Amino acid sequence: MRNNLRGPVLVMALLVLSPLVVEAHHGGSMFEPQKEITVTGVVKEFQYTNPHSWLLVDVTNKDGSVTTWGFEAEGPGVMMRNGIHKGDLAPGTKVTVTAHPMKDGTPAGSWVKAVRGDGVVFDPRFRGTETPNDAPAPNSSTAPPAH
Amino acid sequence: MLKQWILLAALIVASPPLLAQAPVPAASTQGQQVAPKQSPEEWQRKHDEALKYHSLEDFYNAMKKDAAGKPKLPLPDWSGLWTADYYDTFRDCLGGGGCYFKPGPTGASPKLTPVALAELKRGMEMTAKGQVYDENLSNCGPAGYPRWLTEPFMREEIVTPNETWLLTEQMNEIRRVYTDGRDHTAKIDRYPLPEGDSVGFWDGQKLVIHTDQLDARSMGRNLPSQSEQMETVEIWEKTDPKTITVDVWLFDPRLYLEPWYVRRLYALVPNPKKDLRLQYWDCHENPNNDVTKAPDGDTNFNGFDFSGKKNDKSKQ
Repeated sequence: MRNNLRGPVLVMALLVLSPLVVEAHHGGSMFEPQKEITVTGVVKEFQYTNPHSWLLVDVTNKDGSVTTWGFEAEGPGVMMRNGIHKGDLAPGTKVTVTAHPMKDGTPAGSWVKAVRGDGVVFDPRFRGTETPNDAPAPNSSTAPPAH
Repeated sequence: MLKQWILLAALIVASPPLLAQAPVPAASTQGQQVAPKQSPEEWQRKHDEALKYHSLEDFYNAMKKDAAGKPKLPLPDWSGLWTADYYDTFRDCLGGGGCYFKPGPTGASPKLTPVALAELKRGMEMTAKGQVYDENLSNCGPAGYPRWLTEPFMREEIVTPNETWLLTEQMNEIRRVYTDGRDHTAKIDRYPLPEGDSVGFWDGQKLVIHTDQLDARSMGRNLPSQSEQMETVEIWEKTDPKTITVDVWLFDPRLYLEPWYVRRLYALVPNPKKDLRLQYWDCHENPNNDVTKAPDGDTNFNGFDFSGKKNDKSKQ
């Protein structure tokens, strides 16, 4: 009886736990998923690469020093499907980024959203069929501004 | 038995905060396309079809014999870009083989070997601790087949008279399905491969595939490992203008006591401007993406360099 139940119990448990694993290349365990940080700066470089893109942002600290932050997102395929093109975040562009920070305190995080100086919002994660190709783009000036 | 139920209860109780911690992709909440529903009755009928045969190869050969007497139809048009991530979620099967071990629509669970059960348990314990290093993807190796069927991102299916190529964007994985009547690679020439060796035939506009010669590898992040004895049968069909449906039977004596059946769905990616393309995926082009396995099984970045231009190899 015990052995007969062991399988179903484990597969039911798998149903519960499997959503933890979501990232294609690496797991998300390096980030703090319950925390969000928001920083404002200027784009240093948009590394539009696989398997993950990185948005590098220079942030001026209170003491006048500058820290370069890195924000990780999906690769170009998902970016393009979400209407985010490499040229949208050119070096020098003012941007406010919300991210899940690194657990170890490194100035980096998992990019949640970025709001460009003109109010356009960039959400780099998976979305459904309502892509900018057949529906109103998420990256439009009508998108709600970041808080 | 009590211990097992306590474990399950603990997992269920613990799951809300764990789920809350998961960086759930937007696809699960933002306008995801509704998947065509498979009834429990149809699932059960499909599941049971393979059980009548000694092996999945016998199942394939019986379908091949049956199709030989049918009139030939024009090859289907499967052009365009396709993806699993409009119809599926990471909670279900997306991103790594979870549905190969979960109950089907009837609630029936796959009949697993003690080895598979032990590896599932260990994998769940690792996942619960956040230790999710992936022996294949984390170091930029291929997901491999049949996990390949579950991966997100974009795909192309290239149909030609003698071969069909099934491509995924992730790690540039390509499966070649030979439909010119050839058999599998001769035994003397066989060696284990991530995508295996696939032969197929057309039954009307359905592509029926048998795959074996696979290598031993993980079925997904913290999931049991398949052996070189894994074999599968697939039936691919464009069931509506925006959907390719794949019925999959898989069996590996290391993991299963009898063949397991799952259905995979791929949705057409809207691309009216023709600006989306399947591009080469160079996993090492950006050193900021390099990760290592921690001693406890966790994943760590190698260390960042945000000085800029690190993905431009001409400047390194």
